[in-house]
Amino acid sequence: MGAQSAVVLRDVKKAFPLRGGLGLEVLDLEHLALPAGSCTVLRGRSGSGKTTLLNLVAGITAPTAGTVHVADTDVFALSEARRDRFRAENIGYVFQTFNLLSALSALENVMLAMMFADAVPQHLQRRRSTDLLARLGLAERLAHKPAQLSRGEQQRVAIARALANSPPLVLADEPCASLDARTASEVLAIFLAVCREDEKTLLLVSHDEAALGGADRVIDMSELNRTEARKGST
Amino acid sequence: MTILTVALKYLQGRLVASTLTAVSIALGVSLVVASVLLAGGIKAGFIAGATDYNLVVGAKGSPTQLVLSVVFRMDLATPNIEYTAYRDLQQDPRVETAVPIAVGDAYRGFRYVATNNAYFAAFPWRRKTFALAAGKFFADDPPSDPTYEALLGAEAARSTGLQIGDRFYEGEEMAEYPLTVVGILRPTHSADDRAIFFSLPSYWGMNEVARGMAVKPITAVLIRPKRMSDLPSLHRALNVAPETQAVLPSGVLLTIFNMMAVAEDVLKMILATVGAIVLLYVFVSMYSATMERRREIATMRALGARRATVLGIVLAESAALATVGGLGGMVGGHAVAYLAGSLLGPSGLVTNPFLFDVFEPAVLASVIFLGTLAGLLPAVLAYRTEVAENLAPLS
Repeated sequence: MGAQSAVVLRDVKKAFPLRGGLGLEVLDLEHLALPAGSCTVLRGRSGSGKTTLLNLVAGITAPTAGTVHVADTDVFALSEARRDRFRAENIGYVFQTFNLLSALSALENVMLAMMFADAVPQHLQRRRSTDLLARLGLAERLAHKPAQLSRGEQQRVAIARALANSPPLVLADEPCASLDARTASEVLAIFLAVCREDEKTLLLVSHDEAALGGADRVIDMSELNRTEARKGST
Repeated sequence: MTILTVALKYLQGRLVASTLTAVSIALGVSLVVASVLLAGGIKAGFIAGATDYNLVVGAKGSPTQLVLSVVFRMDLATPNIEYTAYRDLQQDPRVETAVPIAVGDAYRGFRYVATNNAYFAAFPWRRKTFALAAGKFFADDPPSDPTYEALLGAEAARSTGLQIGDRFYEGEEMAEYPLTVVGILRPTHSADDRAIFFSLPSYWGMNEVARGMAVKPITAVLIRPKRMSDLPSLHRALNVAPETQAVLPSGVLLTIFNMMAVAEDVLKMILATVGAIVLLYVFVSMYSATMERRREIATMRALGARRATVLGIVLAESAALATVGGLGGMVGGHAVAYLAGSLLGPSGLVTNPFLFDVFEPAVLASVIFLGTLAGLLPAVLAYRTEVAENLAPLS
């Protein structure tokens, strides 16, 4: 494993169990390494294993075979509790549907992520959350609940939440798919800019041209995922 | 942000449902607290009222009626006995204190009780103490010269609005014999709060039949023997007499408490059912809330929340609901006990709803424990929430 690689996957397979003891294989990749500080975009048709790959890297879904290393740590060698803590401190996750907690304000949604890690001292958490939201253009929206925010604003809160603990790795699953084209390009631009400035390693699932253009590397799942390649050849 | 902060925010986020759940807990708890306070208050009232004297001597008849009418003014007065019975008992070497009582009519629902000042004396063995809020005790006047001075119980004074110096009478035929308020008692939390006291000569003077009688009538005599060992012989002797009976108030209390025990058992079953329904309501509320936000729970897990953390959040929610409901129920229970105590007042029983019972911390702790327990299954659901499955994009 290269010293500068933020993420390394080796011989990773993922199959979901089906009735009758059978399994549905959705992912089979030999090797994937993401250099630290790089921006990688995954693209591929629906069902090609993009979200599964992100969940594997995040430690949310365990692989059927193979290893996943993030920041030189074998993620699935950790106990579940330690993996949760590792994820809180090292990985930010931006979802397609934002997934903000409806009962919490924008500020509280960002602070929530800090509750699960020891990355930011408690007395600095409010300040850091405020700064992050201001940086994403939401200084006037701190006390607003998700229902009071536009979709673009909600996604920016979700981005701030993903960056709350200063994780070296940020995963984003089609972060702009739920947004209109104009809002999507605005949100994506600010997202990429912030990640670049903070030298984050970014693994992004997107079909957005702007994302593809701003990426260091674009990976097509049909080339990366041997299961997908097999489907294509049959 | 802490687990409790997130839990409280969630409760705040579904304010109507949370409030309804807390109110249902509060209603259940207030029912339990009020029932226990009232049952305890009624018993305490009976005990406090009946245990200062060891014997009640009155006309032959129902022992329960004698005690209820003389001590608690709850039943019809028993027939009269002669005043000489009191004189005889006063002279009896076995008797330390004998207090004559004549229970008469009422003024605006507040019973007339004729007695002498011994009734209010602060004997060292007395549980109940009488103190004046205003004025003085009525004079122990001679039968030939009744003063018609009245001493009002605290509730009688408050309800009638009578003040020191006021004159009053019930019914036009009594206009010739108006009573004059000379004193008002402090609350005793007993049936005496609802009584209007005056002297026996005043009572005989007001009563047309008694005026013409050579031997004056009274309703009963309260007896305290010098030694408890004298009690059986006194009891026996007075019961052998053709006109009188002697009743042990403690025996009557036992009868009353036995009758109450059946009602208490039924009440306990009702309260247990109410408790089970409230717990079920908390469970359903927490269960549906947890099911509704499985995606948010999965999100927290994806952000790094441990299973124990989401478990703690749901348990903290149900604990907070139970705490708020439990505390509200305590306050509500005392309020209900106060209202019910006011309603029970006319029957002669007075409870003290401001008394904090030792069982209440235990009730509150149980409510919090059981309320939290009702959130356990929903919490386990949250604990077991499958992250990837619940984070799948919405269609």
